[in-house]
Formats: sequence, C-alpha cells, structure tokens
Amino acid sequence: MSMQALNQLVSRSIVDPTVVQAFRSGRIGDVLDELEFTSDLRAQLEGIESDSWAEFAVISYRYVKAAEMPAPRIELPSPLEGLFPDQQSQADQEQVA
Amino acid sequence: MIPVSREERHWFLKNVARALSEFSGVSEPPVPVEEVLNHPPAVYQDDFGVVDMYSNLWDATFARPPGRRGSIFVRVDLDPEERRFALARETLCAILTSKHGRSLGMPDLLMSELKDSTEYFAAHCLAPESLVQAYRAQGGDEEGFAESFQLPAAVAAARW
Repeated sequence: MSMQALNQLVSRSIVDPTVVQAFRSGRIGDVLDELEFTSDLRAQLEGIESDSWAEFAVISYRYVKAAEMPAPRIELPSPLEGLFPDQQSQADQEQVA
Repeated sequence: MIPVSREERHWFLKNVARALSEFSGVSEPPVPVEEVLNHPPAVYQDDFGVVDMYSNLWDATFARPPGRRGSIFVRVDLDPEERRFALARETLCAILTSKHGRSLGMPDLLMSELKDSTEYFAAHCLAPESLVQAYRAQGGDEEGFAESFQLPAAVAAARW
C-alpha cells in the first residue's frame, strides 16, 4: 500500500510542480498527509535529508521497500532438544555392540 | 547525489512513464506519444515539440536552442513504430533537461546512465505497466504485443 502511495507521489511530482515546491520549502509532510502511508513511514519520510527531490524519492523507495519486506523468520532449535537422550543413536550403538 | 542502483533508477523511470500515461488519459494501447508531445503537461509547455527533418545521422534527437522552445528533431522517413520509440526516448531528454526536470534533480539521477535510462523509459512510456497488465488479463499474448502497443519488435520482445 505504501509503495502504491510512493509511486503516486513520484509520478505526480513529474507533472505537478507543487510537490517539489512543498519539498523545497520543508512542507513535504503536507503532501505526505494526502497519501496512504503508515504513520511510522510517514515520519521516516518526512525526516529524510536530501539534496534534491530525486534523491528524496530514491531514499523513500529504500524505506518503503524495507518496510514492505516480510520480516525474516529465524528458526531456533527446540528448547527441548538435547534434554532427552537420542533414542535412535542409542539403538544404533546397541546394534553395533 | 547518492549512489543509485539500476533497479532504483528503473523504478523512478517507471513513475515518470506512469505520469505521462496518466496525463494522456489513455485506457488502451497504443499510447499517443506524439499527441502528448504536441499537448504536453503545462509544466513542460516550453520543452516539448516535434520537428520533422531529413537526416541520415540520427533517428531523433532533442535540442533546445537558447531562449527558444525545445524540440525533438525526428527523421521523417522512420517506420511508425521506430518513430514512436525514438520520440518516447527523446521525451525523457526533454523532461530531464527542462526547468522542472532540473528542479526535481533528474539530471543528477539519470545523466550518467542516459542511454539505458532513455531506452528503459521509452519502453515503459509506450507500454505502461497498467496497460500491459490489462492486455495480459484479457488474454493478450506475446505475438500480438508489438502490434497492439505499436512497438518495434525488439523493444516488444524485451518489454514482454
């Protein structure tokens, strides 16, 4: 959803000079309010420091892309692992014996 | 300007293409690129124009004489698909060197990879994502893609 909003913002900036005017005068937050960004992202985007609108757009893309990526799943071993003897290896040892 | 990846640059260019597509109001292919150049968004009123020329040097090139309106000088004898692609490609040059394009910071983002940028933009300008998705949803296939969107065959193959 936020990527759609960012795409909308950037494509609008290409034909609508009021977007870059707002950016240059430090009022980009007003424009961001018109779009469907999450409150966290909106705050991040408003806080971006950049030399130009194009640079702002690219940095925004990085933020939004990172926010939309699914959180990596860390597969930890079961806390029970190692508490019980490994029955299979015990059976193997008996077979060898 | 911060270092920018190819993917990020392409993402930006897709949005430039989307802006022109939405401005033109086109709902089905082909995108009327020459119509957009003749009736551009107000912010590019002094930057877009088309001049036919006789030349064997280029297919098209953009130039803005000092103090005058910018124009794309296009070879008069191009195939219609080649003409559309050349005009779309040079449209990006017109945008990024315009007063508005410069105020957006587009030259710093795109000049270093201008050839790749103009060609990528042209392919997406003539075949915007929304129209390509609709074409596919309606059962359109690769064979009819170039004809429907009036693209040169090689461009259509790469864009598909």
